[in-house]
Amino acid sequence: MAIPVEGTYGMLAEFETPSDLVRAAQAAYKNGWRRMDCYTPYPVEEAAEAIGFHKNRVPLITLIGGLMGLVAMFSLETWISVLAYPVNIAGRPLYSWPAFVVPAYEWTILWAGLSACFGTLALCGLPTLYHPLFNVPNFRSGATDDKFFLCLEATDPKFEIVSAREFLEEQGPVSVVEVEY
Amino acid sequence: MAHYSHAKVLPADLSAPPMVKAWQARALVVAILFAVTAVVLAFVGGASGWDHLWRGYLVGLTLTWGFSCGGLLMLMLQYVTGGKWGLLLRRPFEAMSRTLWLIILYWLGLGLMLSRLYMWANPGLVKEGVDKGLINTTQFNAIEHCLQWKHPMLNVGTYWVVGAICFAIWFFYTSRLNAMSLQRDKDTLAATPYWIKKFENLSGFGIVVYSLTMTALSIYWVMSTDVTWYSAVYGLLFLVGQAYQVLAFAIIVALALSKVEPFKTILRGVEQYDLGKFTFAFVMLNMYIAFGQFLIIWSGNLPEEINWYMDRINGHWGIICTIDFFLHWLIPFSLLLSRDLKSNKTRLTRVCQIMIVAKAFDLFWLVEPSYKDAARNLHFSWGILEYIAVPVAMTALWVACFCWELQRRPVVQVNDPHLAEILEPEHAVA
Repeated sequence: MAIPVEGTYGMLAEFETPSDLVRAAQAAYKNGWRRMDCYTPYPVEEAAEAIGFHKNRVPLITLIGGLMGLVAMFSLETWISVLAYPVNIAGRPLYSWPAFVVPAYEWTILWAGLSACFGTLALCGLPTLYHPLFNVPNFRSGATDDKFFLCLEATDPKFEIVSAREFLEEQGPVSVVEVEY
Repeated sequence: MAHYSHAKVLPADLSAPPMVKAWQARALVVAILFAVTAVVLAFVGGASGWDHLWRGYLVGLTLTWGFSCGGLLMLMLQYVTGGKWGLLLRRPFEAMSRTLWLIILYWLGLGLMLSRLYMWANPGLVKEGVDKGLINTTQFNAIEHCLQWKHPMLNVGTYWVVGAICFAIWFFYTSRLNAMSLQRDKDTLAATPYWIKKFENLSGFGIVVYSLTMTALSIYWVMSTDVTWYSAVYGLLFLVGQAYQVLAFAIIVALALSKVEPFKTILRGVEQYDLGKFTFAFVMLNMYIAFGQFLIIWSGNLPEEINWYMDRINGHWGIICTIDFFLHWLIPFSLLLSRDLKSNKTRLTRVCQIMIVAKAFDLFWLVEPSYKDAARNLHFSWGILEYIAVPVAMTALWVACFCWELQRRPVVQVNDPHLAEILEPEHAVA
């Protein structure tokens, strides 16, 4: 039974080395492509730069998370020691901030870490149960292992099946495959 | 067209660029200017001016010692841990360690000032303090007790013996590591595993020995300015402080060198960013230990310990302490959080400069309140400017010496497996 085809997601090129991928991505950006993505088994910063991906909001989310943790714990300690249970400990003032620093610091780290982790997942749109690229056999077998991919997406105004394929084939890939939804 | 190599080629000439000579000349001029200023200030300030000159000298000695022996420490740390960042900084570290002779000269100079700096070297200082009404009876009893109790360690004879032993050990490690590094460069690449092991074995033990010996001298030079006080973490605090200042200085040097060959080729963005992260770790560790010491003493609130902090917080010293906190931790910490800043050469250099100033400022805060005329009493005198003049003069002379040492060798070590990696494009490795 033939599976109904819903359309083209993009054109995927496979590369042997990160250098080849980066050069192809740079060429594509220079050529006017914008809707594209790189897939690598480990972070390749230059590939992200090559496709014009400069900033993400993870640092900001982490900073806000960290500051929230700091404020939350410091306020909690202050409330406990000054208002809720004003106990005289060794004659020190109720508001003894040096003693509050360590837990406040720990909560800063904890909240910053959790924010970074979940913020990254959220910004990446994870967990995602399905992605069209899973249809490509060599992507399934190599994207998390030792292969480097560049995908020109069909949403790019420049996208046209024949020209996209031609362009990618000029970049010296191992293979170029059309990806369907 | 698929797979050709993108690796860069190492320049043929690996010697230090001519600008290092210019730095050396500039540093010498600064050293002379500030040395003259220091003497003028001492005359203007009278007796207190001269006393402050000696104290400034102590700060200068401790600071330059941190650069020189800290360089040895980081060199050993690098040999033990490996890593590509080390290949960049090995020669600068070596040059720092080879300035040891200047520190020995400084140390001999300190010997002439012992009687004006340390109560254990000159009990007359105690009497002087009592006569001037700066030391009360309780303090006098505590000082007398401590002087007696600590006499086996804190006396002039032991001071010289311990110092001589420490410097002899550091001289041994410095000369061995520096000599072996040249031998390694002459050897074949096939022999590299042998050299890596050899350096590792020498350095691993060396770090332990260095940590112990530097603890001894940090106690003699700085902690014993207040004979009544003690802290078990003091040596570690200085150890981490040395890594802090050396890393900051090494980054400044590497980034300045990267304007021209050969560092232009070998300094990649990745390693620069890694060095920034490494520095961030030391900024954190430094504060961690410093605050840990404070928190423990604050919690204990014991009369033998807490006075040291009271001397450094009360009587307007709290202002200095707060500025120290900002310079030493808050500013570098906040700035180094930024990913963009660590990749920006100019800004990273600025942060490292702040860190070095912070180190000198911290030493001022550690040393000056130990003396009874300044304890819990921050006040202006002409003498206090010696804390700028003398350390700047001594550090500038040290920088000139460092530049001279840096020119004596190629600035890149070649016989290293990391060299091939460092010449590759940044995205080539995970």
